[in-house]
Amino acid sequence: MKNLKFTSVLIILTMIGGFNLSAQNLTGKQIIEKVYNRPTGDDQSSILTMTLINAQGKQRVRKLNQFIKDNGTNEKKIMFFTAPADVKGTSFMNWSYTSGKSDDQWIYLPALKKIKRISSDSKSDYFMGSDFTYDDLGDRHPNDDTHKFLREETLFGVKCYVVQSIPKDEDYMYSKTITWIIKTSFIGLKKEFYDEDGDLLKIMDVNSSQKISGINVITKITMQNKQKNHKTIMSLSNVKINVGIPDSKFTERMMMRGI
Amino acid sequence: MKKLSILLLFAVFALTGKAQNADFSGYVRNYTGVLYNTGDLSILQNTFDLDVSKTGEKIGFKVNPMLYHYWADSLDLRLREAYVDLYFKNFDIRVGKQQVVWGKADGVFITDVVSPLNLTEFLLPEFDEIRTGVNAVKLDYYIGGNTLEAIWIPQFTPTEIPQAGSIWYIQPEFPAPATFDWSKSEIKPSLENSEAFIKYTALTSAIDFEIMGGYTWDDNPTMHVQKEFAVNPQTHQPMLTGLNITPEHHRLYLAGGSFSTEIKGVVLRGEGAYYNGKYFQSEDPTAVDALIQKDYLHYLLGVDFNIGNVKLSSQFIQQTILDYDTNMLNPEFENTMTFMARYDTPSDLLHFELFSYIGLTNQDALIRPKITYDFDDSFSILLGSNIFVGDRDGRFGQYQDNSMMYLKLKYSF
Repeated sequence: MKNLKFTSVLIILTMIGGFNLSAQNLTGKQIIEKVYNRPTGDDQSSILTMTLINAQGKQRVRKLNQFIKDNGTNEKKIMFFTAPADVKGTSFMNWSYTSGKSDDQWIYLPALKKIKRISSDSKSDYFMGSDFTYDDLGDRHPNDDTHKFLREETLFGVKCYVVQSIPKDEDYMYSKTITWIIKTSFIGLKKEFYDEDGDLLKIMDVNSSQKISGINVITKITMQNKQKNHKTIMSLSNVKINVGIPDSKFTERMMMRGI
Repeated sequence: MKKLSILLLFAVFALTGKAQNADFSGYVRNYTGVLYNTGDLSILQNTFDLDVSKTGEKIGFKVNPMLYHYWADSLDLRLREAYVDLYFKNFDIRVGKQQVVWGKADGVFITDVVSPLNLTEFLLPEFDEIRTGVNAVKLDYYIGGNTLEAIWIPQFTPTEIPQAGSIWYIQPEFPAPATFDWSKSEIKPSLENSEAFIKYTALTSAIDFEIMGGYTWDDNPTMHVQKEFAVNPQTHQPMLTGLNITPEHHRLYLAGGSFSTEIKGVVLRGEGAYYNGKYFQSEDPTAVDALIQKDYLHYLLGVDFNIGNVKLSSQFIQQTILDYDTNMLNPEFENTMTFMARYDTPSDLLHFELFSYIGLTNQDALIRPKITYDFDDSFSILLGSNIFVGDRDGRFGQYQDNSMMYLKLKYSF
């Protein structure tokens, strides 16, 4: 069985625009908070495809269907894996809480016919062999880092804020990150990750986005590991937002049934 | 002819599935093992697993035949599962041959007693292959996020044990010549002989738990022993001259439960069951059929946690016979531990795993290291070893001569 320890995937890909604030004097922290606090809709569903490309250009593809529901105090996600063949039928469920309580996570392995509660304490693990760690995919709280506004810069013809974030936890897997955030929409456009020695490790680029049900959704993103010359392209399709996903979707019953 | 029939059967499965626009998946696997002691092949097995299934809004089905090919020309076709699902608003019904897995334990069977085990290769098969499917009707009734499950099994299926000639067969030792009467070992399918199980499952933020009960048959037959005596002409004392052994399954009642929760990154698991009316062998000369009936407890506590990127898991298991009689052959307490460590490389291509059973009572162990390399998303190669060590009277140590290394090549589709 492949490494199937999962966390939020869609969070990083669904970022809303629409802020028209006068942001000339915003601090680094305020900019990151505006990114963090953007509304993302009450629920959403989509098909996520990850293409892993190694240094020789060889590709591996992972596919899953995912559903997310946010009720204000907690967010529930469920993912159903459809490819590759040896993980087909596997499902993963995550409940996260605004109170700061640790996430609850369960995995259903169809071969074992069993739902297992798993530890959410492995944020630095790589997600299914991709270049994204679980923490990369999660909703990192602004208070976890010290933020510094560096400059304004035009990237791909778009005006951006550039903010440096240094983790307060010295044992964190990155020594710092630098994020390019679109001034008009507070969407992250690019992010650089530096390793514990301060060397550039990874670059994440947003490749495309769409407005769906009034919300800007990033539909394609690339994470490139510069040290290993390996990259992952993550794309969303069939995105539906605010369709009224019932609570019963996030239960043992659905994990085992697989739809 | 047999091969042709099997091929036709698989073709029917395939065509049926295609007609229903069903999903196909499965694998082809070669499994070759070599004994350390002798260099002899311990197993040479080719497996074709075909899973045809479809899940709709109101109905679903699954057919899962498995074809095992052993050595030169031995075929074994098994229908692991074949069932139909009916989905309603608040409940589901599953009818047909199915595997049922209960409890929170890994590699230990405490409340997980609905599907009997196939122990023809001891505990070595993958856990999805070690359970036998049972013909059953299963009802799942949903109360919010919780589930009330009831199972009715009209046909009893016993544990499959190794046959004489298998390297996993242990020749029992008797103090006198033994003859077996198997006439009472079979349970005929009937309403009276049915098994029934019930379970309530809750999956919550704070804790997951299951509460279960069962009215079942002991999957392992009880050996009723009639002793024959004669007078020793030299000592004029009675002497044992023969044993008449009648294997017979008996009813068993059990109640139990399990839980799992996470505390500061550590998953804590527990599972336990109270078994009522189990027969044990006794050396008490007054014991009828050399048996004594006792209740017993079987439980475990386990933890799962990570150190760095290594996943670790350990379980302590105890089996305790209540109101113990010193004439019993089984020990009053039997303690076992399991240990698991797993590391997946960041690329998710290479996987290292070590799983061990450690018999604390008999000082023996089964140690199972393995390395898996995924050539691509379909093809993997697994190199592993099963090492039995310790007291030859122990559950694991008795197989010391069967320590082996093995290779599994697997293509998934």
